[in-house]
Amino acid sequence: MNLYEGMFLLDNQVVRADWKTAKNLVVDLIKKHGGEVVTVRRWDERKLAYPIRGRRRGTYLLTFFKAAPDAIAPTRHDFELEERVLRYLILRAEAVTDAEIELSKAELADGFTVPPPPQDDEVPASEEVVVQVEEPVAEAIEEVPAEANTEV
Amino acid sequence: MGEFSKSSRTPPPPIATRNCDDPKIDYKEITYLQKFLTPQAQILSRKRSGFCTQCQRQLKESIKRSRHMALLPFVN
Repeated sequence: MNLYEGMFLLDNQVVRADWKTAKNLVVDLIKKHGGEVVTVRRWDERKLAYPIRGRRRGTYLLTFFKAAPDAIAPTRHDFELEERVLRYLILRAEAVTDAEIELSKAELADGFTVPPPPQDDEVPASEEVVVQVEEPVAEAIEEVPAEANTEV
Repeated sequence: MGEFSKSSRTPPPPIATRNCDDPKIDYKEITYLQKFLTPQAQILSRKRSGFCTQCQRQLKESIKRSRHMALLPFVN
């Protein structure tokens, strides 16, 4: 059994319905091929660098699991066929950090709730900030020639 | 002329030096990896990143993994 690190990009529609279902989607596929999940947690919900299958946002799930080397190829094949997983990345890992174990445990605690992902159509907060910053700059550039004209 | 145009004869200094004994560059450290991308999201050459062969290879692998996971863009 080797230790692997798996990162999965999940469709936000699945996450919006129920986080546990989304999580089990990945966990069950790993277990199906004899894998043993060490940690599993929500890594982040973020805007994608480029749209994938019409999705502009997605939720990342990070997991560390033990599996036999022979089991990785069929596991990959199953994730390839799974439409709710937009992207996956399975790498060999040397060790699971303590911080990772704690974060995974924190997610299993009773009070933990996953914030619902924002709508895809919404302009993300980061883009709004950029627009606000750019506007005053554009005005400032326009004002300069206007002042120059009045002086002349 | 190679890497730099005639107008800017002094090349920009390497962005970072890195201790090769540090833990490997991770594809999840997006803000760190972004420092080694041009505005068009190309990977900086070793000359400009200042990395040794092994570190540059780790950087390359990490950036490509991030791109696959849509954490970093292929093109801006």
